[in-house]
Amino acid sequence: MASLPSPPDEATAAYLHRHPKRLSSNGAAEPASDFSKKPRVCPQSLNLISPSEVESEFSHHDPTFARINNGSFGCCPASILALQREWQLRFLRQPDRFYFDDLKPNIAESRAVIKRLINADHVNEISIVDNATTAAAIVLQQTAWAFREGRFQRGDAVVMLHYAYGSVKKSVEAYVTRAGGQVIEVQLPFPVVSADEIVGRFRNALETGKANGRRVRLALIDHVTSMPSVVIPIKELVKICREEGVDQVFVDAAHGIGCVDVDMKEIGADFYTSNLHKWFFAPPSVAFLYCKKSNNDSPDLHHPVVSSEYGNGLAIESAWVGTRDYSAQLVVPSISEFINRFEGGIDGIKKRNHEAVVEMGLMLSKAWGTQLGCPPEMCASMIMVGLPSCLGVTSDSDALKLRTLLRERFSIEVPIYFCPPKDGEIDPITGYARISHQIYNKPDDYYRFRDAINELVRDGIRFTYLTK
Amino acid sequence: MESEERNGESNRHHRAPKKPRFAEFITESEIRSEFAHHQNGIARINNGSFGCCPGSVLADQREWQLRFLEQPDDFYFNVLRRGLLESRTVVKDLINADDVEEVSLVDNATTAAAIVLQKLGRGFVDGRYQRNDTVVMFNCAFESVKKSIQAHVTRVGGSTVEVRLPFPVSSNDEIIAAFRKGLEKGKADGRTVRLAIIDHITSMPCVLMPVRELVKICREEGVEQVFVDAAHAMGSVKVDVKEIGADYYVSNLHKWFFCPPSAAFFYCKKHSSGSDVHHPVVSHEYGNGLPIESAWIGTRDYSSQLVVPSVMKFLNRFEGGIEGIMKRNHDEAVRMGIMLADAWGTNLGSPPEMCVGMAMIGLPSKLALQSEEDGKKLRSYLRVHCGVEVPIYFQGLSDGEEGVRDKDGGVITAYVRISHQVYNRVEDYERLRDAILRIRSLSEPFLQH
Repeated sequence: MASLPSPPDEATAAYLHRHPKRLSSNGAAEPASDFSKKPRVCPQSLNLISPSEVESEFSHHDPTFARINNGSFGCCPASILALQREWQLRFLRQPDRFYFDDLKPNIAESRAVIKRLINADHVNEISIVDNATTAAAIVLQQTAWAFREGRFQRGDAVVMLHYAYGSVKKSVEAYVTRAGGQVIEVQLPFPVVSADEIVGRFRNALETGKANGRRVRLALIDHVTSMPSVVIPIKELVKICREEGVDQVFVDAAHGIGCVDVDMKEIGADFYTSNLHKWFFAPPSVAFLYCKKSNNDSPDLHHPVVSSEYGNGLAIESAWVGTRDYSAQLVVPSISEFINRFEGGIDGIKKRNHEAVVEMGLMLSKAWGTQLGCPPEMCASMIMVGLPSCLGVTSDSDALKLRTLLRERFSIEVPIYFCPPKDGEIDPITGYARISHQIYNKPDDYYRFRDAINELVRDGIRFTYLTK
Repeated sequence: MESEERNGESNRHHRAPKKPRFAEFITESEIRSEFAHHQNGIARINNGSFGCCPGSVLADQREWQLRFLEQPDDFYFNVLRRGLLESRTVVKDLINADDVEEVSLVDNATTAAAIVLQKLGRGFVDGRYQRNDTVVMFNCAFESVKKSIQAHVTRVGGSTVEVRLPFPVSSNDEIIAAFRKGLEKGKADGRTVRLAIIDHITSMPCVLMPVRELVKICREEGVEQVFVDAAHAMGSVKVDVKEIGADYYVSNLHKWFFCPPSAAFFYCKKHSSGSDVHHPVVSHEYGNGLPIESAWIGTRDYSSQLVVPSVMKFLNRFEGGIEGIMKRNHDEAVRMGIMLADAWGTNLGSPPEMCVGMAMIGLPSKLALQSEEDGKKLRSYLRVHCGVEVPIYFQGLSDGEEGVRDKDGGVITAYVRISHQVYNRVEDYERLRDAILRIRSLSEPFLQH
């Protein structure tokens, strides 16, 4: 039976990584029922996971780094990686049998797990894709068809946040603008003081979209913006969209599951996507796209890579986009088991991440004499911390230079955001660090960051003048 | 973003590592251990469907994966694109492309088809093409390609002409003649053939096509663009994209080129086709050229595309490198095919020169396979009860067709497609031979079981 000892100690974890198990049987043809049991993490022990076990689960992380950027690429514990490898080997052993017998039912099980996690009504509403970027292509493609085929008028609007993710903006350009739709960007304040500011600006944008008899066909809203990172009052915005007659609402929650509360019925959007490899411990990469049932019957909802499953519904299409490695999608049930080894499960993890990142954010802003980018209640497990203005970050390029310097000189990984100063601001804070907190982080990670910035300040570094 | 990284321009000229002169070639037992992860006890004679990947390449893949997991930001900024460029450069040299900018890496041929057909669809939507302008392809085109045409072309007013592949087939001329007729049909009533889709090696049934001649005919007949779907080609036949002369050419690297699932290269000839091709998953790299777009389609595992140089190392352990492997696979597939046809009293679906590392062999008429469903049942039966993995192709007779008869006097309605790859042994095919003979000799027809 293919199951792992639990939990792997550090040596075993490292070994498993460098010397993957070779599954070879010994002779006779195996009956078809072999490997019908999925690889599983051992049943939950009464003891919760200990700090040293957590450390060993992430022993493959570069130990020299203060890794305070979980938000960009997420993380995956060693025991899940090992299970992923089991799935990969299962395919490699006998790919035809895997394709015919194993793949589809196990993807279906992953989808069922996700449905329960996010409180969706039907498993048909859940499709699994690579990442939120792919999900955006799916939703925007159907919008594009509506424009092309005249169901939407030229000039009808798609409303999105100015801080929408770069790839999503390009997707809107490629699929919507190109097909004749008009794009309205909602300028959000940053730093932000309250959710009301966001709600107000959003309302205005909808008004603009509806001017001159046009309609707002799609509102594309982040649940948690990426850069700068702020938790958006999504329930309220969806409600406003319904009141104002917006056709469809698409929530881009790349930082969703494992970061904020993700309840489809409560949020009420038509489409909702979240990566699982960011805050839900999945290996790269796997995400889900939720499509509320009424939209599900849309004939235009298709995976952009058309396979033989075309026309069988988005979920089925997404489960086969040609030969590739689906293993990240297959470990989802095992992740739930991993998470349940933590006190309070995923909610406990979220709570502790939030409290820690706020605490560390406050510590840093006090140490540097700066401020947070938003009030604590508008952040989840990431927070924007102002950097001393004397560092002279005056452009995106300066921000990148600072990030690179932190990585190369101090072994600190943290993304930096350039915030353009407002007119009349005196001594503005133009650089913000987006710090993340995940279960593998320690206070020392943030102390190192504090000290590194203090050192740069003491050395009189000005990024405006750095040519490197 | 980091502009100095993004374009990844490099003057570094990658050459495939030279074969070690004094080292020995890989031994039989080393090959067995490279594929020790394959399930024992199965005659795995279907490399054509999902390919294979040796243990040493899997180990290198794991190193790449680990590197990402260790420090993903550093990987993204400093490692990924360089690694992909190196893989692309190896491919460019192998396929004789002019410029590495013509080579993109994608997941599989299915993705490349989506790219080409989305572009074609835009031609209809933007009004550059007339309604009913055509796409010409063979009826045995891969199912996902057909669906992609439906999704992006037929939907916006394009029409299709399917050319029936003569099968069994005895010469290239038959295929060329059928294709010419198809082009005529595509041009009838003043229409323009906007795209011809030609398989380099068809999938089911499996035949090596005279792709150079077919492309030449396309140019003569004014076909606007030619897309060669060569999913099986890389590692099966020599691939020279300049000689073949198509606008688009895609081949999987995980089928016959020992990459892990999944990786494919997609070649777009410069000038004619390089513009307005986009990856359907749009990222912030949109507009920077297909190779760059494809090199970042969001966070995911790109490791299977990064191991192409490792594959070259593996190949060069074999006598004759990839050419040696291709030749031996072809010779063995043909030899085993003839052995099976003789044993069963049936035929090869095509002459040896139209086979690659795969061959089609007629199944005995006594098996009485009368539908695709029957073929699937037989395939399952072979897998579950006989330890044989081999795909079955069913071909009913068209009106007026006499069909080919076997030694038992019945009409042959189905073929197996056998593959030969470096891990296969004669025993694999003998097992298939004996299983079919056993089934044939059952007193009740197989399908009653």
